[in-house]
Amino acid sequence: MTEQDIIINQLTTSKMFVYFSQLIDRPVIDKNGIVVGEIYDIILKSSQVYPQSAALIIRKGFPNRKYTVVNWKDVSELDADTREVKLSIARKILIFKEKHDNKEELTLRRDILDQQVVDTHNHKVIRINDIHMLFVEHALMVAHVDISAKGLIRRLGFEKPVNFLVKLLNKDSDYLKTEHLLSWKYIHPLSINPASMTIKVNVPEKQFSSIPAADLGEIFLDLNINQKITLFKSLDVKTQARIFTNIDFKTQKSLVEDLEPQQAANLLNNMPSDEATDFLDKLPREIAEHLLSLIESKYAKKLSQLLGYSSDSAGGLMTAEYISFVKDSTVESVLKQIKVRTFKVEPAQYVYVIDENNRLLGTTNFRRLILADPQELIQNVTFPKSYFVNLNSSVKEVAYLMEKYKYYTIPVVDEHHVLQGIITVDDILSQLIAFAWRRIKKIKIPIKK
Amino acid sequence: MTKRIKHSWRNLIIFLSIMGPGIITANVDNDAGGITTYSVAGAHFGYSLIWSFIPIIIALVIIQEMCSRMAVVTGKGLADLIREEFGVRVTFYAMTVLIFSNIFNTISEFAGIAASAELFGISKFILVPLCALFVWWLIVKGTYKTVEKVFLLACLFYLSYIFSGFLSKPNWHEVAKSSIKPSLHFNKAYLFMLIGVIGTTIAPWMQFYQQSSVVEKDIKIENYKYCRLDVIIGAFVVNIIAIFIVIVCANTLFTHGIRIESAKDAALALKPLAGNYCFYLFAFGLLNASVFSACILPLSTAYSACEGMGWEVGVNKRFREAPQFYTLYTAIIVIGASVILLPNVKLIPIMLISQATNGILLPFVLVFMLLLVNNKRLMGKHTNSLLYNIITISVIIIMIGLSIALLFTSFMQ
Repeated sequence: MTEQDIIINQLTTSKMFVYFSQLIDRPVIDKNGIVVGEIYDIILKSSQVYPQSAALIIRKGFPNRKYTVVNWKDVSELDADTREVKLSIARKILIFKEKHDNKEELTLRRDILDQQVVDTHNHKVIRINDIHMLFVEHALMVAHVDISAKGLIRRLGFEKPVNFLVKLLNKDSDYLKTEHLLSWKYIHPLSINPASMTIKVNVPEKQFSSIPAADLGEIFLDLNINQKITLFKSLDVKTQARIFTNIDFKTQKSLVEDLEPQQAANLLNNMPSDEATDFLDKLPREIAEHLLSLIESKYAKKLSQLLGYSSDSAGGLMTAEYISFVKDSTVESVLKQIKVRTFKVEPAQYVYVIDENNRLLGTTNFRRLILADPQELIQNVTFPKSYFVNLNSSVKEVAYLMEKYKYYTIPVVDEHHVLQGIITVDDILSQLIAFAWRRIKKIKIPIKK
Repeated sequence: MTKRIKHSWRNLIIFLSIMGPGIITANVDNDAGGITTYSVAGAHFGYSLIWSFIPIIIALVIIQEMCSRMAVVTGKGLADLIREEFGVRVTFYAMTVLIFSNIFNTISEFAGIAASAELFGISKFILVPLCALFVWWLIVKGTYKTVEKVFLLACLFYLSYIFSGFLSKPNWHEVAKSSIKPSLHFNKAYLFMLIGVIGTTIAPWMQFYQQSSVVEKDIKIENYKYCRLDVIIGAFVVNIIAIFIVIVCANTLFTHGIRIESAKDAALALKPLAGNYCFYLFAFGLLNASVFSACILPLSTAYSACEGMGWEVGVNKRFREAPQFYTLYTAIIVIGASVILLPNVKLIPIMLISQATNGILLPFVLVFMLLLVNNKRLMGKHTNSLLYNIITISVIIIMIGLSIALLFTSFMQ
């Protein structure tokens, strides 16, 4: 348990809340006081963040089980003490059938209890041991889920003996006093119906966009292939792109294979160009070319150009997203345009000044632009000297220059001095880390005696 | 033509990347206990039990194939599915029995290590802790990919039995004849042996292990045919090796009328009859099989129990990320290795308990499997066909019957 879990004092909550496990198999009574069956499952309507009970599934008979579905408006009372459900209709009008499966709806027992979900708060995949529900005007609302050992013990029916034992050992144990629950708003159900491969709830995707991309990649590692695909498809393209750049190639490949061609193209369109080329580079040639043909023509041209460079040269490392302006733009117009443009990646705060033929003239940064006179021409606010590398410069050269002049990005030019792209420090860093690892493995560090 | 060659190359590469779970799971079947059973069968009944390996292959393929199919279609382990479809209570009790049963199975694997230590003239107090440490280190420090490679290498070492089989110069004509023509003898000893040979084939942990390791590979349904091939190859390889063990013992011990009680006896008796090479190959085979199974059993147990209870699982995780998984794994190895080092430990009761718990759990596991694999909501169009169900149900009934019969015969002896 982490401190992020919500801790509730049991004393104040016992009457307002009920665990779903405490309702399962409890009797259902009709308006004449006759037992019609037992609670089997609850169908939810997920109109809000916290889904509410929409219908009750009642089961009867053993071993020939039969089920019926009762709309929640026909439920007259749910007794918090006896945990019995009373209906406002008579038993006669209920029709019991062999099957109750309705793929469209979200139900507690089938889709949530005991299932795996993504915890978007702690950024991991968890299994739900119990569901904590709140009474709201005689309906039930899913408030929290229980993923603790205590929930497991309650489900197994060992709550009383375990509580007794804990009491014997330590009267003031935290175990007795607190409940470890996680709010439903952090829960993202996974592939609920493996056969039809659909996710039926529309939990706000905002939760996902707030998770750091590296953590999203970690969550993805914990999912099986079906869950990966369904979850991925249910996310918006921005989040998709963020996940995509943080998972291994094998998973990337199988995700792209499962996307519609248009979706795949859209995904690549939304990825930083260096990541997109990295991915395309590893694919078999014909598949990469097919994907390129689907992408916006201008971007595709850029990508196929990037694909041509060797992966350990400046050309292979660079990304084609950068901010550049022609030398005679004014500082004011430059700042205005920067504000309205959107970027796939945050380009480090450098702006490149070019001439009419795209040749690199100089470099400036946001700080210089903000401090400059708005009417000044951009070519007059550049750094006194401009550093750059060539398309075929090696990783080492690039790293050396960046370290020496403390640059976060460095421009790349071709033989005619035309600006081709930029290399950011994180691309260099990942190359250097890999390089350093290979070195460490070879060199034995002498141990002092 | 060139296109076709290219195509078959591609198929081979896909198969090699998918291969593993089926072959590994089947090979663990030839563990210390299995080798003992086959040695005794060969030494006491000659070639006359070889025919029984053909029905064993069929049973193995049918049951393990369902596990692979469930793994590929649902992407979930067997313990996961049992938890999700039958609830936490059933899972908890099933897992408790599984853990209990596999602790005793692991003890008997370490007994195999101790026996081979004596064969090689090494003290068991050195070899058993060493092997336990190796097994533990492999999983805790390894990743899924490296672990699987080590396992596949261990499968390769089983070939030592095939070499020792050839060294014993068998009468191939006789072998071929007795594998096709069933020769039933209705005496108590023969029937008990038959039950022993078939009854040990399918153990509950195998289904859990196989399904989890297929899931770990993220195989798509389009490539399922390779997965099935993996299962079939595994079943054949494991039984061919078992047949060779029977051949070695039948050819040497049976013809000289030597009675044995264990794999260790078999190896010792081989020395004067078939020569030193045959002896060392046989003893090495026993060591390899025991270490290999001592690795897989605790791993499979920890995997299934954590899967079912919803705890973090995985060879690729660190201790801090999956504490329950590693604690359980370590505990089973420690118990398994230390029990065998106790003075005056008796192996017979340990074997009986492991057979009893296997026998109790197996019917439940097979019935759960049958219900799950026929669940349309989970499996979609990949449920069993009617014919397949009829075959499966009869195999299941026979296997359950035999494993219960095995339990009785063991107690009667």
